[in-house]
Amino acid sequence: MIPLPREILAVEGARQIGDGDVVIVGTGLPLLAATLAQRTHAPGAKLVIESGIVFPKVLPTPISVVDPKLMNGASRHGSLFEALGGLVQRGLVHTGFLGGAQIDRYANINSTWVAGKRLPGSGGANDIASHCRTVVVLTDHEKRRFPEACEHVTSPGFLTGPGARAAAGLPPLSVKVITDLCVMEASDSALVVTALMPGASLEDVRANTGFEIEIEAVPTLPVVEPPTVEELTLLREVLDPDRVYFPERIDQ
Amino acid sequence: MAVRVHHVLSAADAVRTYVKPGTVIGMGGQNINRCPMALVHEVARQGIGDLTVVGCNLSLPLDILVACGLVARTEQGSGNLERYGTLFAWRRAVERGEIEPRDHSHLAMATRFAAAANGVPFMPTRSLLGSDLLTGLTEAEVARVSEDPWSGDPVVLMRALSPDVSLIHAHRADLAGNVVIEGVTSHEVDMVRASKTTIVSVEEIVPTLSERPEEVTISGAYVSAVVESPRGAYPTAVYRRYDFAEDEIKNYQRLARAGGADFAAWIAENVLRQPERSAT
Repeated sequence: MIPLPREILAVEGARQIGDGDVVIVGTGLPLLAATLAQRTHAPGAKLVIESGIVFPKVLPTPISVVDPKLMNGASRHGSLFEALGGLVQRGLVHTGFLGGAQIDRYANINSTWVAGKRLPGSGGANDIASHCRTVVVLTDHEKRRFPEACEHVTSPGFLTGPGARAAAGLPPLSVKVITDLCVMEASDSALVVTALMPGASLEDVRANTGFEIEIEAVPTLPVVEPPTVEELTLLREVLDPDRVYFPERIDQ
Repeated sequence: MAVRVHHVLSAADAVRTYVKPGTVIGMGGQNINRCPMALVHEVARQGIGDLTVVGCNLSLPLDILVACGLVARTEQGSGNLERYGTLFAWRRAVERGEIEPRDHSHLAMATRFAAAANGVPFMPTRSLLGSDLLTGLTEAEVARVSEDPWSGDPVVLMRALSPDVSLIHAHRADLAGNVVIEGVTSHEVDMVRASKTTIVSVEEIVPTLSERPEEVTISGAYVSAVVESPRGAYPTAVYRRYDFAEDEIKNYQRLARAGGADFAAWIAENVLRQPERSAT
């Protein structure tokens, strides 16, 4: 089985979730990653969904944060105020998964306006980036998605640089960006490339990033472990058999 | 304001009574779940315009009102249909400058409803700090950075938001206007409690819920009119009753994306011309 780039991305996303972690995920790859984690190494991981679903046991394959398949076996069906206020702002959710159209050098996210194009807007993203201590971003690696500075900051990373987040009154944060080319991390700093995806090179990362990349000072950058057969089989046959999230996947 | 008198009304009468040109509508539903489609179609048929539509995630019902040219402003946390894409009519209108969107986070919107629902002028949040959302909302005078009077730490005060009329679709209601919602409630309970009036369409009206008051999600104290409207959220889902109609939503998105005559014809046929929904 040869994994697709976005499948590696989803599996690496799943590996960010530890057994017993409380994580908030939206739909898309983050939800798939969290469901994968629950069914592999992190059966005790607890999910929070912004619409008010607390600790569900997800049935394949939900397409929305209000999909009834996402309401299965939950601790409670509550409200958005309970999920984003009572759990996220309250500090009970450690890790948040985010997407977004753009993420800049200082890990700020734009999901509102890009070059005069109107996008959906924040949703719960600003709340997650404001209150969670760890944010994981899963995204395709394209130059237009990685500008030097977002033209609109929907969700705060490290704003204008070291110290800016604290000055704005926001709590400390660690960010991990996982793309189909690499992993980048930051903590009150600019994003630093800390690992490469299998088959990707630093040249690929440079060519597809809109800012000068920083590279972790190690002799050789580690390469992300490719998905196991078990992970890939679960992803393809159980979690997304209808290729809702991987339209590019063609049955072999 | 006294406790509201509720009425069981037709969608046409309820909308005629409570929705006026220039009204601020609190929109229920989220994405593909429990959107008040039957009520929104009725607003469209009556052609009530210059509306401000507010909510957390605004989805299909907003897009239909925009496509009918009835919306002047939105205050929202997001406007999209998740996997099925953005709201194309809304996006076009916003990009052309025909609609002024006021961007919040979902928690910031929910906080504004919670303030109004509890009769206080504002409520603090620690979201928005450092973001461009805060800049926009501060300029619009609905958010203000202040400090926690005890710790001195920054907080954002969100101004209470009280819609003129909320439109929601629920599972059932009784003749006293008590409402049961099963599954998640998104922003709806506080939004309804914050609103001056509320129209609730339901899958079914039952004589009384007073034998099981613990099941009641929203007290009749907050409900102005109840409309019996089976499948009134179609093509969006009602938890444990019916799933969302993916083909219908995809078809709408395809037409809305393209815009033009085909989309206008679809709106005319499926929204404007449609008679009161029957129980089929």
